[in-house]
Amino acid sequence: MKMTRIALGAAVAALALAGCDRSASGDAKAEEDAAAKVRVAEYPERVYWGDTHLHTDNSIDAFGFGARLGPEQALRFARGEKVIASTGTPAQLARPLDFLIIADHAEGLGATRRIFDAPRLLIRDATLRRWHDMMHESPEQSQRAVAELITDAANGKLPASLRDPAARRRATQDIWTRHLETLDRFNEPGKFTALAGFEYSLMPGGNNLHRVVVFRDGIERTSKVLPFPGIDNTPEQLWDYMDAYERKTGGKVLAMPHNANLSNGLMFTLGMPDGKPMTAEYARRRAAHEPVVEATQIKGDSESHPFLSPNDEFASFGVAGWDLGNLPLTAKTTPDMYGGNYVREALKRGLTIEARTGVNPYQFGLVGGTDSHTGLATADEDNFFGKHTGVEPSPHRVMDPVNLGTDAGRFGYHYLAGGYAGVWARANTRAEIFDALARREVYASTGPRMTVRLFGGFDFTEKDFDGSGWVRAGYTRGVPMGGVLADGGKAPVFMIEAMKDPRGANLDRVQVVKGWTDASGAAHEKVFDVAWSDPDKRHVTGGKVPAVGDTVDRARATYTNTIGAQQLRKLWRDPEYRAGQRAFYYVRVIEIPTPRWVLYDAVRYRLKLPPDVIAGGVSQERAYSSPIWLEPKAAAR
Amino acid sequence: MRWRRVAREPLVHFLLGGLAIFALFAARGEPADPSSRTIHLTREDRGRLAVTFEATMERPPTEAELAVLTERWVHDEVLYREALRLGLDQDDPVIRRRLGQKMDVIAASAVDAEEPSDAELARWLASHRSRFARDPALSFDQLYFTDQGAAARAMRALRGGADWRELGSASALPRSLDQASRGDAVDQFGDGLVRSLDALAPGSGWQGPLPSALGWHLVRLRARTDGGLPPLAQIRTRVEDDWRSETEHARQEAAYKVLRDAYRVEIDQ
Repeated sequence: MKMTRIALGAAVAALALAGCDRSASGDAKAEEDAAAKVRVAEYPERVYWGDTHLHTDNSIDAFGFGARLGPEQALRFARGEKVIASTGTPAQLARPLDFLIIADHAEGLGATRRIFDAPRLLIRDATLRRWHDMMHESPEQSQRAVAELITDAANGKLPASLRDPAARRRATQDIWTRHLETLDRFNEPGKFTALAGFEYSLMPGGNNLHRVVVFRDGIERTSKVLPFPGIDNTPEQLWDYMDAYERKTGGKVLAMPHNANLSNGLMFTLGMPDGKPMTAEYARRRAAHEPVVEATQIKGDSESHPFLSPNDEFASFGVAGWDLGNLPLTAKTTPDMYGGNYVREALKRGLTIEARTGVNPYQFGLVGGTDSHTGLATADEDNFFGKHTGVEPSPHRVMDPVNLGTDAGRFGYHYLAGGYAGVWARANTRAEIFDALARREVYASTGPRMTVRLFGGFDFTEKDFDGSGWVRAGYTRGVPMGGVLADGGKAPVFMIEAMKDPRGANLDRVQVVKGWTDASGAAHEKVFDVAWSDPDKRHVTGGKVPAVGDTVDRARATYTNTIGAQQLRKLWRDPEYRAGQRAFYYVRVIEIPTPRWVLYDAVRYRLKLPPDVIAGGVSQERAYSSPIWLEPKAAAR
Repeated sequence: MRWRRVAREPLVHFLLGGLAIFALFAARGEPADPSSRTIHLTREDRGRLAVTFEATMERPPTEAELAVLTERWVHDEVLYREALRLGLDQDDPVIRRRLGQKMDVIAASAVDAEEPSDAELARWLASHRSRFARDPALSFDQLYFTDQGAAARAMRALRGGADWRELGSASALPRSLDQASRGDAVDQFGDGLVRSLDALAPGSGWQGPLPSALGWHLVRLRARTDGGLPPLAQIRTRVEDDWRSETEHARQEAAYKVLRDAYRVEIDQ
């Protein structure tokens, strides 16, 4: 094994031949000065859009799948420039993003690139050599190599050189430092924010416990640590690492769990990871380190599941295929696991645990991300560049199985086009974007950039809501999304507004999802339709607002904004409030039906798809706000 | 200044790069002729093996370990040369691609280390204006309406002297933007309305109703400041970045083109 390490070391040395390092241009002082010149609003005036979860060719699997776009191209693409995708297609966003979090896997950061680049003669480890050969042989073989790599990682069987901390540190240091330099070069306070992060990809037995870890700081702080890999450890050790970073540098860092839907019940457990009742200390640490959860992304949506929410006719978005099993589909998911897999249930469990321990471990806000492994942060249905480079646009990607060589029920068409995060920040800087995440003033979108405003309080009136000062009233006399209200014996009132994406589809309806615990500590949920388009024609029948209709032309992948509304607003008072109730309220905004990427592909490539795939080619995209919590007076902070 | 232009020629870089590699091999005593049956390992060569070992193990190798490293190196070198003698490097996709990559690296390596002068970057900036030009900044007031009729009534009220702050329906849209970049305005109001604003003269009073993707608007453009090109000093890193990545690519392409031109490719149909 010693020789393997030498081999990889030599490979890195060989790469250094490519040229001397340019010195870091990210002068910390200059950056602070630039950030200081940016106007910071009194309160958040506009929403900033970004991807909180993007992989580049520094990710072990992305590179193996064929990605050849690094952080630099990823940043160029995110800020609106045209780049050439790894498979040769020109790619550009219709609209630039305001910020980007590149979150490459900490595990074996850059390792696949090193395996690929290493002179074959220098690779002594038989497994690594085989992967090296497969990567060079063909894209398909390269994907197989990565699939093996992911499986081995899941089972803790990676070759020692990829696991060994000392060897890893040396290899990682170089890539991490370069990466941080690139981020500082691209970070333009007031215009485009490039945040440093990584993905902690803990996956015991293939059950996904991944977190995106994001830093508030620039290279002068972030270069003092290395990404923390999720190998042979627990999230508590990740929190230790985060604490150590903050102590050592005075910086700030937070973690965002994702793909709870592939965790086989482990992401949001009712008890401790070992099954014992959850302690207040554990709950406190979890809530403090993980204020935000990624609720939707390419590998499915984790908001709700029809099994858990049988009365919610919108609960099945992005569930199909993904709810069959864990990430590599090595273990099936059974209904008893769903509770730990979905966000709404987790929010409810949080209330239950809080009733018992006094601390809510799952008091988190919601964002969307792509988790794209192509270096391309695309989330629009008509511009989907795929989960990874093996499924960049091609005629076969719709029907290809997700897990190569299996037909276990997860196919290309199950991929969603990915989501984005809407962030209510006072300015577009690292500090302001990070702080908005930390205080949960953020929301998830499945792609469209609709504007969602939510304030909770007790004394908002129609006059407040209809006046031009309603936003100020929201901030001064209530709390925005992500906030906590202390029960004052009165029903909470919410000011809610949703505005369609200026480039997108009209809105069907706005809903409030309420979860609460009763006196026995049992949790309940209810979805309220609070505002919808054409209320004169769409009358509530049987407690439900009728469907909005459907303008999608399946044969041409088009829709029209002849149904739905551009703006929906409601001043909503909880009609089922009970004094002393612990509750959360979040807003779900639903668009009219639009074509999914599958339908665009079908038209683009003239595909003949099975009827059920065509039927699933239309969906109602949506946004999830972070909740506002109502807590008994003593508990509220 | 003629030599400066020569110094910028990609072909010159390419040839110099090749020369440097050759010189490196020559200086290291690497036999330029792989068919030689003499393997000469200098003290420097062994030093390199030791350094590589130390870089990984965080300690120097023992004599015995160095002997093993040396023997292994000789072992590989013997097989390497014999493989070349047998022509095993031919038709190997891995070797083929790897050598191609090295050619690309050589072609671009000079760019990686080069520090472009201000004058050079200023030229780059001037010739790629659209990439670096700032957005125009817009200052305007805006009233939002969900239907055209309400917007038209409000317009009449404004003409009648009504206070604009009392009009318009409530929305999350800002009523006033001050010195906002055009892109910012597009993000919030969509293309359509901002294109209407482009056509207005600042100070021309309330206009509308104008449609947008979100509904109807009355707008009053107060000021428009043209973006123009920021001074180089302000965006030097961005310009340098752009120059570097494009020049790298251009040199690889140019180097390839020079080589390619010397080939005739015949493809049987």
